[in-house]
Amino acid sequence: MSLNRSMVAGSILMAGILAFSLYGIGQIWASSKNQTDPLYVEECGSCHLAYPAQLLPPRSWQIIMSQLDDHFDENAELDTESRQAIEAYLAEANQSTNGSYRKLRRNLGKQTPLRITELPYFIHEHDEIPSRLIKANDKVGSLSQCNACHKSAEQGNFDEDNIFIPGFGRWDD
Amino acid sequence: MKTGQTLLTLCLAGTIFISISAGQINADRGKQLWYAKTDGRSCTSCHGDNPANSGKHVKTRKNIKPMALSINPERYQDDKKIEKWFFRNCKWTFGRECNVQEKADILTWLSSQ
Ligand code: HEC
Ligand code: HEC
Ligand code: HEC
Repeated sequence: MSLNRSMVAGSILMAGILAFSLYGIGQIWASSKNQTDPLYVEECGSCHLAYPAQLLPPRSWQIIMSQLDDHFDENAELDTESRQAIEAYLAEANQSTNGSYRKLRRNLGKQTPLRITELPYFIHEHDEIPSRLIKANDKVGSLSQCNACHKSAEQGNFDEDNIFIPGFGRWDD
Repeated sequence: MKTGQTLLTLCLAGTIFISISAGQINADRGKQLWYAKTDGRSCTSCHGDNPANSGKHVKTRKNIKPMALSINPERYQDDKKIEKWFFRNCKWTFGRECNVQEKADILTWLSSQ
């Protein structure tokens, strides 16, 4: 009887440990999925930085992903398998980082912008930067190159204390 | 899907093998294609004039690592990746896809750099 009981207790303990470690692995997996999905970085980070998912609403990503053969005058076509995996990643990452830079999605109404650089809040935040620091700046070129100025852009961080414009320096306003 | 890809790779490898054994692969022709200008565009628009140096995407200015195999041994490891970029870049540069011969010539030249 007592042997039986300790076996039951033992199994419960084992099950608990197993569940706990599975949970831990799940957590690590979930957090690693957040910004650095290797497939996303490989496929969407070769021509420009892999834009963090929270910067556009889900419906924008859906349209972008559905017309990769005509992607801002480039061909970014993918095989079906990779495309679907990236669509799933974007939808999930978008949800798990829903709170960050919410402001970017303000005043969108029914619009479905295909560029982050067209979002009203984005334009508002960047309209004071003189164009000689952007277009005429060989190290920047256009506002689409977030990582030229936002030093932790790849990690999804656009905070003001992390901005350094090449040829100008730290930005304090 | 998997078998399709394997078959494709085999076909490609087979064609390259046949061309090699027939002595048809020509690195010089590959080099000419690499530098050929079509309406102001060429492979060097993004990869730069010297394959031993880094290039820069003509539109986004993102850095592109050197294409010369001797400098960058990570190059040309994955058939799927090679095919994907040949497809995109030939279309962008020449306005058409490259054929197997052209791809083999270019790859041979780049790999010898
Ligand atoms: C073959 C090169 C290439 C690949 C691969 C590529 N893009 Fe792009 N992408 C571009 C170019 C060129 C632009 C326009 C940049 C500019 O105007 O400076 C762009 C712009 C964008 C923009 C808009 C940026 C802005 O101005 O706000 C988004 C979003 C974007 N790409 C997402 C993706 C996603 C998602 C993938 C992967 C499925 C991807 N890209 C893969 C070339 C590429
Ligand atoms: C030329 C340099 C430059 C580029 C390129 C650039 N930014 Fe910025 N960004 C700035 C500066 C400077 C500010 C701060 C503006 C201010 O507050 O006066 C800023 C502010 C922001 C903010 C607001 C930060 C906050 O804490 O409220 C966000 C979000 C942002 N940028 C996102 C982006 C994204 C996304 C891209 C690429 C699509 C991008 N930026 C490209 C320079 C740049
Ligand atoms: C518009 C810009 C652009 C042009 C023009 C361009 N490429 Fe590329 N190429 C890229 C980018 C971006 C990559 C992927 C990034 C990387 O591999 O570092 C790439 C990758 C490649 C690869 C894959 C290398 C590997 O490691 O597997 C090959 C092969 C290639 N290019 C060949 C060519 C050829 C041939 C031409 C001319 C017909 C050409 N490229 C023109 C941008 C360009």
